[in-house]
Amino acid sequence: MSQTERPTDSKTSAREIVEPSGEETEFVFFSGKGGVGKSTVSCATATWLADNDYETLLVTTDPAPNLSDIFGQDIGHEVTAIDDIANLSAIEIDPDAAAEEYRQETIEPMRELLGDEEIQTVEEQLNSPCVEEIAAFDNFVDFMDSPEYDAVVFDTAPTGHTIRLMELPSDWNAELEKGGSTCIGPAASMEDKKRDYERAIDTLQDAERTSFAFVGKPEDSSIDEIERSASDLADLGIESQLLIVNGYLPESVCEDPFFEGKRADEQAVIERASEEFDADAMATYPLQPGEIAGLDLLADVGGVLYDGAEATVDVGAATDVDGDGAIDFDAMTDPDAVVDQLTPGEETRYLFFTGKGGVGKSTVASTAATKLAEAGHETLVVTTDPAAHLEDIFGEPVGHEPTSVGQENLDAARIDQEKALEEYREQVLDHVTEMYEDKEDTQIDVDAAIANVEEELESPCAEEMAALEKFVSYFDEDGYDVVVFDTAPTGHTLRLLELPSDWKGFMDLGSLTKGAAPAKGDQYDAVIETMKDPEQSTFAFVMYPEYTPMMEAYRAAADLEDQVGIETSLVVANYLLPEEYGDNAFFANRRAQQAQYLDEIRDRFDAPLMLAPLRQDEPIGLDELSAFGEAITGLADVAETEAPEVTPS
Amino acid sequence: MTELTLYEEAMCCSTGVCGPDPDDELVAVSAALDQLEDAFDDLEVNRANMQHNIDQFLETQRIYDRVQEDGPSILPITVVDGEIVAEGEYLSYDELTAAIDESATAQEA
Repeated sequence: MSQTERPTDSKTSAREIVEPSGEETEFVFFSGKGGVGKSTVSCATATWLADNDYETLLVTTDPAPNLSDIFGQDIGHEVTAIDDIANLSAIEIDPDAAAEEYRQETIEPMRELLGDEEIQTVEEQLNSPCVEEIAAFDNFVDFMDSPEYDAVVFDTAPTGHTIRLMELPSDWNAELEKGGSTCIGPAASMEDKKRDYERAIDTLQDAERTSFAFVGKPEDSSIDEIERSASDLADLGIESQLLIVNGYLPESVCEDPFFEGKRADEQAVIERASEEFDADAMATYPLQPGEIAGLDLLADVGGVLYDGAEATVDVGAATDVDGDGAIDFDAMTDPDAVVDQLTPGEETRYLFFTGKGGVGKSTVASTAATKLAEAGHETLVVTTDPAAHLEDIFGEPVGHEPTSVGQENLDAARIDQEKALEEYREQVLDHVTEMYEDKEDTQIDVDAAIANVEEELESPCAEEMAALEKFVSYFDEDGYDVVVFDTAPTGHTLRLLELPSDWKGFMDLGSLTKGAAPAKGDQYDAVIETMKDPEQSTFAFVMYPEYTPMMEAYRAAADLEDQVGIETSLVVANYLLPEEYGDNAFFANRRAQQAQYLDEIRDRFDAPLMLAPLRQDEPIGLDELSAFGEAITGLADVAETEAPEVTPS
Repeated sequence: MTELTLYEEAMCCSTGVCGPDPDDELVAVSAALDQLEDAFDDLEVNRANMQHNIDQFLETQRIYDRVQEDGPSILPITVVDGEIVAEGEYLSYDELTAAIDESATAQEA
């Protein structure tokens, strides 16, 4: 299929989806991982709508917004008219500030009854991911009643999880009667919002008025992720209408086998997505030599997506590169410092590779584990990411319990969400059954009580706890010198990691009044202490050198430090363009951009840098992992330092 | 018609089943309340926890005063038909049954 065909057949369909169809305001939500170009596509869509005479509002809830770079104008927390585009206004909402506001509203009435210390405890309890989701949803709700606009474009979308949470309003009456409640917040203030929430969800489910669009990269993992999110939404009656695959390699710049091969892989992914993904429309936009900013490029994106125009990739202009583009990578790194962070001392070392989906952390974690095992360390690599693919990486089955993957000293395991939940359920039900055996209450119906608990276990909360239980259990695995965690995507990881502290705080509050000593508290304490101890634990953030992935990692690292007191001790910059391929202005420009972000990464993170090159294909199997390890800063040296100092004659 | 109200400390979830370990007391009291509702036709059960139902604390003078005086450690407070029947601890099913029966008897008298 040629490059020009695709935009043409999507011409009317993508347009039909985002263009307002009647009198009522049209809402367009863009969903997708950071770094896929979601902001760009949202800005381009909003600009296109405005250019077509629709009064348009662009809402971004990105915690590190770059609208000002894209439009060349400061925007901020108030609705602001965009200077150079008639009919377009934008607003940047700070999700952290919104969550804090929500918390303060909740706490305010309690101040009258509670002392400062108690208020603080409640405040800490409210510092939960759950509350943040509600606050974020409030932002959507606020703008979903905007009759003054023909179209409202959101550069983010509520997830299936959030919507399920917010759908509770319909069950709230029942819930409240039971005296039960979720972690949603004070019942009274919820009552007021009930109608707003219900209306917002109705609108979300109304395909005539609301468009859900996904933005992804031409990579299998990106498309798989989108399919998962879309099926979550479909369960809630929300149809995904548009898929935009952004950043494919333009044909004209791929002039050697390395990049021709990459391009062929990408085109195959696009082909697969168009066949498999159940959307009404699909559109693609190519990678540009530089970042997409400025109105001309935005107009180009909009033209390609909605008018069926051909993309302009201005390779000729890509000449503003320093010298011949050679980057002194050696000066950026200190392999010895990396080795120090990776190798175990007297005690087991825990290595956490963390980062958003699509940055290649499973591969980096598996490669590190392979090299450490080769160096003679008993190593376990564990993934806590439900979407992880350790089996594919090692080419060996990987299950819930650690098993060998064919390399001496190396075992792998993955948390099986369902099994973990089953284990947790059994544990809770056993506990409750036992509790009633000791009780003197004569008339209580034990079976009914247990059935009650069983019902309560059907909650997202239980799933979270089950995963946490399993996560903690890997700290008790005996006999390993190194345990490598290929952690779940950053936000989820934080949640998982934060929960122990949260629960500890929560249980302390409980024990103030009840004197009940929780059995699990000490175990969690020990785990947190281990994670906080730089002698025992290493946190490595994996990213690639572009704006959004860098900012997301930076924010996640700051959160880890603020909330759990854990410092980042390694940074992995992945997917560096190889010097030996892509010998043209396009890639010279891409390389210069990567170098610029590498500098910025070094400024932002006070930690040794591991550099990992872009590969033609993802390494699969032990041999390829081992070879890949040789190309990553520090990993090649792990074996040398640790090899027994015996010279064979 | 008997009204049973439980005023509880601030907590995320009153069922007791959303932590690493289930909270025995909360599990027991949740089950007991469910069963009481089945056992007594004209019983209305209401649970108010400080985080979710702060209004009920502010609007109920007696409860407000008790928490002001003794602090939240006085919770949970169990109230049957306006009478405080327990403070600082949860009652068992048997104890709750007795408290409800007593209140009913007093009403008839």
